[in-house]
Amino acid sequence: MNNAIEVQKLRKEFKAYSSRSGLNGAFRDLFTRNYKIATAVNDISFTVKKGEMVGYIGENGAGKSTTIKMLTGILTPTSGQITVNGMNPHKEREKFVQTIGVVFGQRSQLWWDIAVQESFRLLKKVYKVSDQQYDDHMNHVIRTLDIEPLLDKPVRKLSLGQRMRCELAAALIHNPPLLFLDEPTIGLDVLVKLKIREFLKEINEKYNTTILLTTHDLTDIEALCERVIMLDEGNVIYDGPLKNLKETLGEGKELQFQLLEKVDLAAVKHVTSGMPVKWEFDKKELIFTANIEDSDELISQVIAAVAAAFKIKDMKINETSTEEIIRNIYEKGAVEVG
Amino acid sequence: MFYVSMFFQYLSQYLKTRLQYRADLFVEFFSDLLSQAINLVFILVVFGHTNMLHGWNRDEIIFIYGFFLVPYAVFSAFFNIWDFNERYIVKGELDRILTRPIHSLFQIILERLELESLFGALTGLAVMFYAGSRLGIEVHWYHPFLFIVFVIGGALVYGGVFIMLACISFWADARTSLMPMMYNISNYGRYPVNIYNNIIRFVLTWILPFAFVGVYPAAFFLGKEEWYWYSFFTPVIGIIFFVSSVLLWNQGVKKYRGAGN
Repeated sequence: MNNAIEVQKLRKEFKAYSSRSGLNGAFRDLFTRNYKIATAVNDISFTVKKGEMVGYIGENGAGKSTTIKMLTGILTPTSGQITVNGMNPHKEREKFVQTIGVVFGQRSQLWWDIAVQESFRLLKKVYKVSDQQYDDHMNHVIRTLDIEPLLDKPVRKLSLGQRMRCELAAALIHNPPLLFLDEPTIGLDVLVKLKIREFLKEINEKYNTTILLTTHDLTDIEALCERVIMLDEGNVIYDGPLKNLKETLGEGKELQFQLLEKVDLAAVKHVTSGMPVKWEFDKKELIFTANIEDSDELISQVIAAVAAAFKIKDMKINETSTEEIIRNIYEKGAVEVG
Repeated sequence: MFYVSMFFQYLSQYLKTRLQYRADLFVEFFSDLLSQAINLVFILVVFGHTNMLHGWNRDEIIFIYGFFLVPYAVFSAFFNIWDFNERYIVKGELDRILTRPIHSLFQIILERLELESLFGALTGLAVMFYAGSRLGIEVHWYHPFLFIVFVIGGALVYGGVFIMLACISFWADARTSLMPMMYNISNYGRYPVNIYNNIIRFVLTWILPFAFVGVYPAAFFLGKEEWYWYSFFTPVIGIIFFVSSVLLWNQGVKKYRGAGN
């Protein structure tokens, strides 16, 4: 069995009642309620192979958390099939959760009042981890995440970054082959983020741990995941390598020039006539921007032409950022990747 | 076996947390003792004015009251689920519970241990001994064993009813005010049921069987033979209610909708 997660036609509906407005409406609500069925996850299918690191992204309310909760056995799906680690998460919950680790960025898994190491000790018992396994594995985790000085402090006295590292360690006590991370880097500073990313990469390499991660921080995804699954209004709108997404949808490159002399736009346009370039001129900053296709040859030609004709003060080559790509996708609501 | 060892793990954790706050521990200890003493005085004052009630005399009523306090204390120590809806459903703490390999209800019971409630049992025992000695009840060798069985039975009845109430939260989102109401109804079990009208008596025996927490088992020790059947039914009712509440819980967990985040 090579798949860690298999999801087929997974669907989750919530029945919500919509209240009428005003006091009058409230009285009417008392007797007859308008129920609305909201589909949070709409017949999605995907598989994740063992050892993959997959980014699961989408806007707020796109259905990410709902999916994760179904995959971890917290919620029961309305319809569809889920097989995670060869088990049905909800049916065999107690046996199943032994094989996964979960970190919810906004919710603590640790006990608030007791020292971190006491939490670890209790979790170790909960997951029936032997002393030897614990020592082998956790000493390493504790060292890598640099949480040794925090172990004897109660969780409520930790900062968010410290707590998050402890949460991550707590999720790994039983060394699960599959790890769910729901916004693990939310609200963390750059250094902690980097540390967490490095650590995730390391356990992925060392134990071949499968990681499914949701985040709003796309740099996380860029640093960790080769593959992304993008969700919008409960539908999977893209599932594939991050690179493809960039190549197909990254709409060319941007060349920015600042020139020493005063030149007008027409003159610049004249230099590159015949080349497929779209020029823009920012009068305030005196920056000329060329939007061109992403082709190495064309880029050098444009630079050469401009440099030959004018004296250049400053120059930049910008790539369309992932964030921009994703914003574009959300705005259009669909992706067409060949 | 695993569950027994988990119980002790959580128990030691609970004790550690309590010991960490020394001042708090002492304050709580004293306030518990004090409130139990007040309780005791209150009982004696209130029942000082009653003489006979439908064939029960003053000391017998006090005895029933004392007995009731014991299963109630056990219940409060282990089934501290008054705020289940708020804490676990609205705040979504159940998410965390459900990602751990132990039965969810058992985990909640372990997390919410409140052993200081067991002080109430001491008051209960004191009241029973006071009333018992005035009534001249003979203590036989099997009494302690039956007492323990009845106490467990009564605590299970209580636990079962309140777990079922907690289960409502799985289906209905809004927080319910049923818990306080049920608490009031449960108090009826402290008094002899035959003083009530037949319908209430039926309800307290078969539907919300709080009579099995107080009167029925206590009647055995008071030697009221007409009630013996009911007395011995206590553990059965306890098990029936508790098991069905667990089954209901298992169904309810499937309906859990989670809190948004």
